[in-house]
Amino acid sequence: MSDVTNADHPQARLGDEAHLGETMIELQELTKRFPGQESPAVDRLSLKIPKGEIVVFVGPSGCGKTTSLKMINRIIEPSSGHIIIDGEDVTTIDPNHLRRRIGYVIQQIGLFPHIRIGDNVATVPHLLGWDKERTDQRVDELLEVVGLPPDEYRERFPKELSGGQRQRVGVARALAADPPVLLMDEPFGAIDPITRTRLQNEFLRLQDELQKTIAFVTHDIDEAVKMGDRIAILQEGSRVAQFASPEEILTNPANEFVADFVGTGATLKRLKLTRVREVQPSEALTGRVDEDRETLRRRFDESDWTAMLLLDTENRPLRWLRGTDLRQTSRALDQVGYRARATVEPQATLSDALEEMLLGAAGVAIVIDRRGAYQGLLDIDDIITSIQTMKDAQAEFYRAAKLADPESEVSA
Amino acid sequence: MAFFTEYLADPRTREALFEQTLEHVYLTAIPILIAVVIGLFLGILAHRSPQLRSPILSTVSTFLTIPSLALFALLIPIVGIGATPAIIALTLYALLPIVRNTVSGLFSVDNAVVESAKGMGMNATTRLWKIELPNAWPVMLAGIRVATLLTVGIAAIAALVGGPGLGQEIFTGIRRIPATGSLESLLGGTLFIVVLAVLFDLLYLAIGRLTIPRGIRE
Repeated sequence: MSDVTNADHPQARLGDEAHLGETMIELQELTKRFPGQESPAVDRLSLKIPKGEIVVFVGPSGCGKTTSLKMINRIIEPSSGHIIIDGEDVTTIDPNHLRRRIGYVIQQIGLFPHIRIGDNVATVPHLLGWDKERTDQRVDELLEVVGLPPDEYRERFPKELSGGQRQRVGVARALAADPPVLLMDEPFGAIDPITRTRLQNEFLRLQDELQKTIAFVTHDIDEAVKMGDRIAILQEGSRVAQFASPEEILTNPANEFVADFVGTGATLKRLKLTRVREVQPSEALTGRVDEDRETLRRRFDESDWTAMLLLDTENRPLRWLRGTDLRQTSRALDQVGYRARATVEPQATLSDALEEMLLGAAGVAIVIDRRGAYQGLLDIDDIITSIQTMKDAQAEFYRAAKLADPESEVSA
Repeated sequence: MAFFTEYLADPRTREALFEQTLEHVYLTAIPILIAVVIGLFLGILAHRSPQLRSPILSTVSTFLTIPSLALFALLIPIVGIGATPAIIALTLYALLPIVRNTVSGLFSVDNAVVESAKGMGMNATTRLWKIELPNAWPVMLAGIRVATLLTVGIAAIAALVGGPGLGQEIFTGIRRIPATGSLESLLGGTLFIVVLAVLFDLLYLAIGRLTIPRGIRE
């Protein structure tokens, strides 16, 4: 099974077709030979990307994943094969018209340094000849969406922004004309780890609303597991070693290559598969900053908590207060105790939550919603429970597989 | 220095010097304008086409190795004397810095910037005018500035082929050595050329301020 390549059986690793929804992007026997190179960089790649999903191309460097991605908008022209987008063969149409329908985000971002942020975002609307009013409205809307208040950022130049902010602009620019398809080439690769996690989470939240069809390239299996609805693990020549859901790839690697590439720590990786919102958070003892100090103290004394979470008037976490903090009267409540750090949003993964817990002193992560308002608490026990559930489910899966097919060898 | 102030105080010399300065300005500006148009074209061509790059760059380099006196003289049988041979020769000299800086300016534009422009569906012409040239402009402008200063200097030789400009005053002085007033003419012509060069330099500073987009200014 493991020696089957897509060259022999083009459909061999495409997974069960029945599970795929409507296809948005289809690659048929896509091949790229660069002049002067013996073997093709991409060798007869066939793949279907379902509408509204993120499909991640992941593989070791030099496997041809970026070349494969860049053939979809024909930044690299294929040597042979076909690209079908939304039922239309786009292999030979005017590439500039094709590209205006496909958002493109690259690792180096490539904002235009000589024009303002607003004009950068307006690039494709300008090319499409939108009128000024519609363009301006769209630019402001998109800057808002990526978390850059338009009044503050529209008139700035790229060099005045941090790397993370620039990539937000890069995403906004790609989304400007509302293309149904996005291509993302290691979009968060050059960004520091903390900002990267935040951008990944924000992007997933955005994708929940937008439901774009996205081809996403990364060399990082952890990112692939986190971002992908489906992962294509690619070997040299862009041969598909396995094309399946992250769960499937982690629990049931198709061959030695996939198993090696996924590497050890599969359980830890699976924490990236579960979102905070899928876990029931526990309740903390809370008090609001506009409540009477005496009321808070009484509530604290009546509970068996060792600390109370102080919220501001918008219900956003402010500080952890201990009994001594509540009993003193010399300083305002929002000046005592510890600052409440370690917050996670519902679309963050349990892995993110675990990281926050380990970084924060309290050993818990505060779940907040989009506007930063308190939702509940996660602690390390919640994570352990969740790992246990996953393990049970996995065991159940193998037991069921064995029962269904006594001949099969379950090696994992 | 008393003799020199006397020379400058003479209204006839002053008038002649100002007239020649004006001629010198034309003698610099016209070749530069022509060289910018040709140089921009050749520079873009050399950037686009790897096959043409080396022939173009070596040709414009060769122009600069021809001694100016020889080049001016060589043109006389073809176009006669006066301003024309001077303008042609100066244009050829000005090409090298302009072409070279256009090529290196275009190469200095971040690949990712060009690729993302391409990825958004900009065609090659739009990309060139809207993205590549504006970002290459600071380097290109530096080339034009060097070419201008070079031309201001070399333009003095034009007087030898009957051309206009401050070279006339200098060569009047040289021809009359050691007669009285020869040194003054020599110095007067040179001084005005130096002042002109400084003024051109200031002009480029202003052009830079006005035309280099704020986002890529140092």
